[in-house]
This record gives sequence, structure tokens and C-alpha cells, in this order.
Amino acid sequence: MSAKIEVSFQLNGKQRELQVLPSANLRDVLRGEGMFSVKFGSASGETGAAAVLFDGKLASSDVILAAQADGHSITTVESLNTERELHPIQAAFAAVGALQSGYSAGAMVLGTMALLEQTSDPSESEIRDMLGGILDRETAYVKPVEAVKRAAAVLRGETVTGFEPMILTPLTDGKNAAIYDAKNKPPPGSGAVPRLIPSRDVPEMAVVGKPEVKVDAVRLAKGNPAFTDDIEPRAMLYCRLLTSPHAHANIVDIDDTAALALEGVHAVLHHKNVARIKYASGGQSWPNPHPHDQVSFDTKVRHVGDRVAAVAADTIEIAEEAVRLIKVEYEVLPAVFDEREAMLPGAPKIHDEVDTEEIFDADKNIVHEIKAQRGDVEKALASAPHVFEQTFRVHQVQQCPIEPHISIAWIDEDERMVIRTATQVPFHARRMVAPLLEMDIKDIRIIKPRIGGGFGAKQEMLLEDIVGHLAKATRRPCRLELTREEEFASSRTRHPQTITYRTGVDDDGKLVAQDMYVIGNTGPYGTHGYTVQTVSGMRGLSQYNCPNKRFHCDVVYTNIPVPGAYRGYGAPQAEFALEAHLEDIAIELGYDVIEFKRKNWVTAGSVIDIAPHLGERAVVDGELDEYPIVMTEGIEECVAQAMREIGWHRRDDAAWREPADRPHIRRGLGFAFCMHGTAIPFLDMGGCSIKLNDDGSFNMLVGATDLGTGADTVLGQIAAEVLGVRLEDIKVYSSDTDMTPFDTGAYASSTTYISGTAAMRAAEVARTRIKERAAMLLDVEQPCTIELRDRRAYAPDGSSVSMEDIALDSLHTQEQEQIMGTASYVSPDCPPPFAAQLVEVEVDIETGQVTVPKMVMAVDCGVAINPITASGQVEGGMLQALGYAHCEEFAYDDAGKMLNTSFGPYKIYRADEMPETVVYLVQTMEDSGPFGAKAVAEIPKDGVAPALRNAILNATGAAINDLPFTPERVWAALNDK
Amino acid sequence: MPLVAAYHRPRTLEEALSLLAEPDHTVLAGGTTINADRDASDVEVVDLQALDLDAIVADGARVRIGAMATLGSVAESGLVPEWLQIIARAESPSTLRNLATVGGSVATRSGESLFLAALLVSDAYVEMAGADGQSLSALVEHGVPDEAIITAVSIDASGKGGTALTGRTPADVPIVAAVARTADGRTTLALTGVAATPVLADPNDPTAGLTPPADFRGTAVYRLMLARTLSERAVEAAR
Repeated sequence: MSAKIEVSFQLNGKQRELQVLPSANLRDVLRGEGMFSVKFGSASGETGAAAVLFDGKLASSDVILAAQADGHSITTVESLNTERELHPIQAAFAAVGALQSGYSAGAMVLGTMALLEQTSDPSESEIRDMLGGILDRETAYVKPVEAVKRAAAVLRGETVTGFEPMILTPLTDGKNAAIYDAKNKPPPGSGAVPRLIPSRDVPEMAVVGKPEVKVDAVRLAKGNPAFTDDIEPRAMLYCRLLTSPHAHANIVDIDDTAALALEGVHAVLHHKNVARIKYASGGQSWPNPHPHDQVSFDTKVRHVGDRVAAVAADTIEIAEEAVRLIKVEYEVLPAVFDEREAMLPGAPKIHDEVDTEEIFDADKNIVHEIKAQRGDVEKALASAPHVFEQTFRVHQVQQCPIEPHISIAWIDEDERMVIRTATQVPFHARRMVAPLLEMDIKDIRIIKPRIGGGFGAKQEMLLEDIVGHLAKATRRPCRLELTREEEFASSRTRHPQTITYRTGVDDDGKLVAQDMYVIGNTGPYGTHGYTVQTVSGMRGLSQYNCPNKRFHCDVVYTNIPVPGAYRGYGAPQAEFALEAHLEDIAIELGYDVIEFKRKNWVTAGSVIDIAPHLGERAVVDGELDEYPIVMTEGIEECVAQAMREIGWHRRDDAAWREPADRPHIRRGLGFAFCMHGTAIPFLDMGGCSIKLNDDGSFNMLVGATDLGTGADTVLGQIAAEVLGVRLEDIKVYSSDTDMTPFDTGAYASSTTYISGTAAMRAAEVARTRIKERAAMLLDVEQPCTIELRDRRAYAPDGSSVSMEDIALDSLHTQEQEQIMGTASYVSPDCPPPFAAQLVEVEVDIETGQVTVPKMVMAVDCGVAINPITASGQVEGGMLQALGYAHCEEFAYDDAGKMLNTSFGPYKIYRADEMPETVVYLVQTMEDSGPFGAKAVAEIPKDGVAPALRNAILNATGAAINDLPFTPERVWAALNDK
Repeated sequence: MPLVAAYHRPRTLEEALSLLAEPDHTVLAGGTTINADRDASDVEVVDLQALDLDAIVADGARVRIGAMATLGSVAESGLVPEWLQIIARAESPSTLRNLATVGGSVATRSGESLFLAALLVSDAYVEMAGADGQSLSALVEHGVPDEAIITAVSIDASGKGGTALTGRTPADVPIVAAVARTADGRTTLALTGVAATPVLADPNDPTAGLTPPADFRGTAVYRLMLARTLSERAVEAAR
């Protein structure tokens, strides 16, 4: 090991002299100095999460040696944190909802500082260029761009107003289609501002529906230590993984002698010294669906990147050296990657172990066979005048949170295991890790701090068992963070599928039969394989009325890195195929594409008939007495607003479609209709407790898991509305399995609806008692006549008492008690949100290059509790969905090794290339949801791929049934190769 | 990041050259490539930042760009033709552009570097310490001589440039790109994405002798088609 050297640099204006190793990078040194805003996204600097100002210029500290900084000036966002109040740049980011997870907030704020030093009035392209080096999977950069503009205006001394949605009048009567008028232009204004179409059914409210600033905005804007890696227990060890270089191999032997002999190594764990206990890693409700086909360390590896061993050592460098010293003898086996080939005779058997139960047919690598049916599909197809069959292939992509998976475990003073971890499912993780560590659930505590994005990747018990085993073995705190390369190959991805539809249509254009066959590729482990594929069935067969439907799915094992949960969860795959298939049928039968879909899409009153027969609570045999029906929908309003915004009439404008000055360009517009679910009925459950404090404020404890989505804010708004206080009076804490009530976690578009109802009910319990105490103080006989508003309790005669006085009275004066409300909620309903997705495209017909200038999504998510965070969800969802459709893909060599394990080769959208996006929120009053809310988080994942596909078809006549639409694929389709 | 065993910051070129003559010593320019490398081999790095190699100056009809000038400073230099400024800006995102250097880009010889292709058509000449200077096209073919240091790259700033490229998205590293420059009635053309390094090509027969490497973004056949199509567009744009 090299000797340390002395470096001296200015850090936030103060001279620092530090002793560092020659190999130390500036990011780690700055974090060691308490600059928590500097985040790890990747070692090669392309995420920009660790960007600092280096002599005043933006630069990724990942790729700067600390020694290079000697004699220079370094600035981090902590330089702005001299007061409790936010700096105007930070305040602008908070005000416009630019902070979702806020993981890269420090870099964005610093970049803004540097840009505004150069120019006080930057152009949009200058702003986007600055943000182009800071990757974001959450905001689609829409609101960060707005934040920079706002900060610039404030610093120029201009007055800015509150950031509020643009309220528009409806184009429809809420039920019938609007008549499209090309002369009716969309309202001008920044795309960062959500367009809100109110519903008359929604009452006026004080906090709900308002563009409140997020409750965590200050900590995120300041880069305060909020994330898993921002707290280091004393004497912590650093851990690294040894992963498989082979796609399929038996581990014949492992020799850890040399690794253990290395000074500074504390433990090397592998299959020889860790108990073989079966589990399934998907973060789902008890009992986790079978098969339980994983163990912490196996005698076999089933994909490149699969776990082989783990090391805990004094430093990362020592741990990495120890990993290199572990000798593993492999017996390499044939591998299979394509889900269609995995089922064929002669394919290698991926699970040949004897101790995994309930694999449907291990010899054929079929994990599950899923079937559901309504009516008689074969009979209906046989008699249908028009029958169409098409097969689609959707590929493998990743969630790509900028914060990789990270977990830190330690044994506390009571010999309990504490795991601070980036998870979406703290309660599932606690229950699932306990048996692997051979501990009781009561002896495990999971702390979920702020999370730097999850998108389903963290709906998984991925690292918690490893750090738990290492903490047990070493009795020291153990930290394991995945590298970006490991995040790609060793975490979770989206399931590839091969989807075949057969559809029968009658002479009136009505669907009479839909048959959907899916081969779902779950990689080497089942995890979410069953449930994701069932959602494909639900979403692929629910949004159009059809008397005869059948879903058949084979979920198969292969040797690709593991698919799991990814925002949308089986829906994006199905809706791509469905919306493409119906588009082609419409064209073939000579219908206008929207008119054809309108003839068939569900409306208020339509029965949702196949969903109850799919999923973890599926009705397998027989019929339900009563099937769920669609209660609310704003479909026609969504369609009308989106068509006007995109300028749908341009589809018929030859001069626009074939621009004379760019002869190789063809333009087109595409549409997709979207419907999603809201939580899993009878399964997803959330709990909440609320207590009143001396000053009339409330602590609210929720098990729900805010991933950056704004869940804490939305739940706080719901409670504040019930209690008649301001959002700032609600202090939200989530989540810690020792302290907060149970919640299934952040998935299935459930948090606002399920946890939100729990919050509403807990607040109602507290409200009841507050009213009783207020009635005592106001001498009112009927507590139910008391009203809570403006932080006071009002009697019918207008007399009132403050919330603070009620609190002081109840805690200190008479008949003392803690006013507290606790409630939980599980829903029998699953009210669907709806959306219209439109995409504009330019296709270079000579090269196949596809460019997307604009995307519009109009969403009916019920009442958006917070229109700013709701529109942020839609924007970020569309960014990921565009990546799925257009440019993201896992690429492999013939041996199954991923070729593009960094951003760039794995292409995600940057700020300086994002299309214009506009979001419409069409209100409906969903009575089953809290204050009328339905879900919003996942539906924006559903429509971009089919709308882009249909736009390319509109522009060029080429119907492409495989994703993504990369240049060579489109070129080949245009040339029919 | 490689296991940097020692860090050196020489004050003179002579000192730098003598350090590089020792085993396992390597040049550290901006660091965006070497510090991002996951290779675990031990190296001693020789940081050139103290050698005053970052100036961009006019030199008659040519512009001399110091090897340690960053792509960010090239993008902002009024001495560099605007079309080349745009390419320098597009080469790296905002968070790497102020670190990555011209000398580092030349030494890396990436076959996907549009900036390098732009230097090639600008008749670039590479000045070195510890070795004789040579044309960029020769250096790109053979690499930086052992123990030599690139000190500057001079370019012909005259003429008109034109670029045509195809990528998955607008800011993607192009699968294939063509850069052309027309000066004094003569057009030069360079291509990326068709060989291990960017290559000069004949505007009248741009794919002559090319056997492009294939990857998941483009087969050899597709890359040849792109080379032809994009060359035509770039030459037209440079007219």
C-alpha cells in the first residue's frame, strides 16, 4: 500500500490540508470531509451525481484524483448552507418541484451557480447543456430547467409568483368525444407547468390539490445527510462481491485461503460457510410466491453477474484485492438466453437442484403456467368475420436509479440486526431476511432513509442478506454498495417477453375475441416472474371491452441477468403489443385509429372481468358474484386535450409530413390509449399513526416508502386537510420497522390510494378526539358540530380555540392524554387511472434514425393531491418509457456477458436531448380514493412505446413489432431487410 | 480507477520526460479516461497540469491548441472555428468537458471520437516533447510514441466545416459520423465508427477499403451504408 501524500486545496472558501492516498478520488475525500451532497453514481463520472465546482467549473469528482486538486479551489453545495433558509437557487429547485429523490440535487444546484456566474439570463439550450452532464431518471429535466430559469430571474431581481398549475376549461362534457377543431390552439406556456382540467364534482379544499412544496425539499436542496450512505457507523467494514464470469456453471470448488490471508480482510463468505436456506428475493406480501429458487450463496451460478462470494475488509481496495484472490473452479455449462429457446427440447436445465419446490416444469425451464379465460375464445374466433394475429418482442432494460443498491448492517447493543438500506419494501425485507440470517423477525430492524430512486429495482431483498451475513460473521458494521457495472448485471431489470395476440373483430368494428399468449423471460430466478406476467395479462386484456378473452402465459427461466419489478410491472410490455396490434387492425379495416379504439375502450360502467382471475389473490375457479366496474373516467377529456396539444390534424398535412427542405425526413404522430391499476385489491395494506404535539403540530409515522415520488408530501397533505392545519404542521417520518406502522411498500401504484387512505383515517381518528377536547373547551355539547380549519377548532357560534391550546390542554392541564390516531387500510377496489399518450416523431428514411420532438400525456388520475408532484411523476415516467421504446437495451456477447454496463453505451436520455413534454391532469372524483385520488406513478410507463411505434408507422408506413426503435432496426424495416 | 501507487506533478517538460522513462509511469492529463478505468494494475501517474500546456493561440493561419486545453475551453475559444466549437461541446457532457483535454483525446484515439475526426479534417499537426512532431493522421494510426508527451495540436482554422451523424438519440455518441471541411476549393473528409480509430476518407469514394467493426448498435453493412450516406451530407454541408 502506498504512503499517504499531503494535498492542500480550498474547500468552500477555506484552505484544507489533507493526507490522502495517491489513488484516492476527490469524491470519496470530499464525502469523508462531510460534503454529503457529493453522491456516488458511477466510477466513471457520467452520472454527474458527484459533480463539484473545480476552480468554478462543473466537474465530476469521480474522475479527479484528490492529488490533482492540490492548489485548486473546490466548491460543493454545502457552501450555500450558511443559513437555515435556502439560497435562491436551492429555493427555486424546491418551489417548482424539481427535487424528486434529490440524489443529484447538489450537482444541479452547483451547475446552476456556475452557469449564472457566466450569464444572468441563460437560454434554454444553455441550461439544458449544463444539465446534460447530470443524469436524472425522475424529472425528465422538465422542472430542473424551470428551476434554473426561476433562479436566474430571482437573482436578476425580478419578482416571481408561486408555481401553480394552469387551469383549463374542459373540451368535452366529460362523457362524449369532442369534435376536433384544428383552429382551436393549445394554451401557450412552459411545459413544466401542468395543465389541470378541474371537475365540478371536486369540492374546494385548503391543502389537498394544492401545489405544496415537498416536505423534504430543504434537506434535499441542501444536500443534507439523508441517504443510506450518508451515515457511517464507527469501525465500519467495506464489502465487495465476487460475481460469476459465466452465464451457467457449477462451482466445483472455492479456495479462499489467499483472500483470508490478506491483511485487513475480516470475512469471506460463500456457499461453503453460509447456510443453504431457500428463498425468493422479490419484495412481496407473505407468503412469497413460489418457487423459492435462491439461496444466499449457491453451488451453481446461473447468469454472468450472479453471486459467488462476498468479502468484508477494512477498505474497499483491500476488499477488491481479496475478491481477486478468491480461487473458484467452475464447470461451465451450456446456457440459454432467449425465452423461446429455453422451452425447447435439449435446452440446458437451469434449475436442476432437488430442493426447489413448485417449479411448473423444470425440465422445460417453465417456472409458471398462468391461465385465465372469459367466455369462449376459440368459438368466437372461429365465427369472427375478421381475425388478426401478430407477435411482438419486447426486450430487457433497467430501472437505473442513480443511487445504486446500498445496504449497511450492524449488530446493535441488544444483539439485534439493524440494516439501513435503500429499499422500497422495508417490512417485506425484514420478514424475508430473518430466516436467511437464522434470526427472529423481532430481532431485525430495517431503516429506510431517503432513497435515490427505485422504480421497482429496490422492491427486492437484494443486498440485505449479504450485509447481514457479513455483520454476523465479523460483528462489525458492514457496508455494501453496488458499482454501476454490478447494478447493471447483478441487480434487477425488466422482463423481456414474446407476446402473441389473436383478435376477432365483427363487421361493426367491435372486438369479439382476444387471445393473448405471453412467453415471459424471468431470467434465472422466479422473483417477480409470476406477478409481473399476471399484470401483463390484466393490462393486456382489460382496457377494451370484449366478451371473449383468454390469457395464457409461460414464465421461463433463462441465463440473463435477473428481471424483477420495474415501474409498470408487466403493463408496458402488454400495452405496447396491444396498442400496436389494434392500430394495425384499425388501419387494415379502414377505420380512423382513435375511432376504432373508441368503439371498444372501456367507459364508466364497463366491467373489469379478467383482472380478478389473475394475480396473487386470483379467483382460480368459478365466478365472482360481482365483478368490479369502472366508476370514474375522464378518457374523452384526456383524448381531446392531448390531440389539441399535439396538433393531431398535422397527420393529414402533406407539407408537414414531408418537409420540402429536408427531403430525407418523414414526420408522423402516434396515439396510445392507456389504463392502469391502483394498488392490488385485498392485498396491499398501509398503516399510519398521527400524534398531536404541544404546539399544535403533528408527528405522522408511515410505513409507506417515499422513493422521491413525493409520497411523504402527499400523505402529509391528506392529513393536513383532515386536521385543518398547514402541511408544515405535519412532520412526516417514513420508514423504520421498529417505529412506523406496517406498509407493504412502494409499488403497484398504491401509495397515494392505500397509504393515503390510511393517513386520512388516522387523521380522522385524531380529529374526532380533537373535536371532543375542543367541545369541552368551547362549551359545545355536540363535538360533531366543531369544524377544524386554519389551525383552529370552530364552534357553530364562531367561537374558536387554537390547535396549540387544545394540545397544551390535553397534554398538560386536564384529563391529560396523548391525542393520537392510528389506522390502516386495505382496499377492495382497484380504480383504474386512464390516459391518452401522443408522440410526435421525425424519421430519417435514409438512415433509420428516429427523433422525438414532443410527447404529450393527458392523465385521469382522479384528484391529484399535489398537481406538481403528480405531473413530475408523469414527466419522469415518460422519460423512462421513451428510453424503453427508443434507445435503452441490454446488449450481450454470445456467452451472455453484458456489453454495455455504463451510461452512454447503455443510453438513457439526457437533458440536452429530451423532447418537449406536456402533461395534462384531467380531474375525476374517485369516491373510493382519499379526496378523490387514483394512482399516477405507473401509467406514464405504458403508452410511449406504442405511441412512438404508431407514429413511426404514420410517418413511414413501417410497422415495427420489436423494441427498441434503434436506427438499424428502423432502417431494416424501411428497407424490408 | 487504477491503483495509483504514486502521483507526480512535474514542473518542467524535462522532469516529466524523465519520470515517464521509468517503468509503469503514465501520463495523467484530464483524468476522464484513466481515472475511470477499472483496471487494477499499479501505475504511477505523471500529471501534466503544471506545465502550462493549456493555451489556445493563433499561429498565422493556424490555431495552436495546448495539449492540456480542455474540450470546454476549446468550445468557448473564439479562435476555433464555430463548427469545431460545436463538436468540442458535443464530445463530452458538461460534467466531464472541463476535465477532458485535447491531448488526452488525441492519445486515446477512440474510433468514435467526432472531435478527433474534426481535427483530422483540419489538417492537425501534433507537437510532442520526447519525439518529433507528426501529422495527426500518422499519430492516430501508430499511437503516441513511448515516453513522449503531446504538447500541442495545431489546426488549420480556415474553410467551412460540415457534419452529419447518426445516433440512437440526438446527444448519443454517433454510431457513424462524417465530418468534412472545404478550404481553398479542396474538401477533406473523416469518418468515425468505421474503424478502430477515426479515419480520413476519400470524399468521392468514402468507404474504400473500410471493414467496419460491428457491435449491437450497428452491423458492418449498416455502418458502410451510413458512411456513404453521411459522407455525402457532410460534404454537402461543408460546401
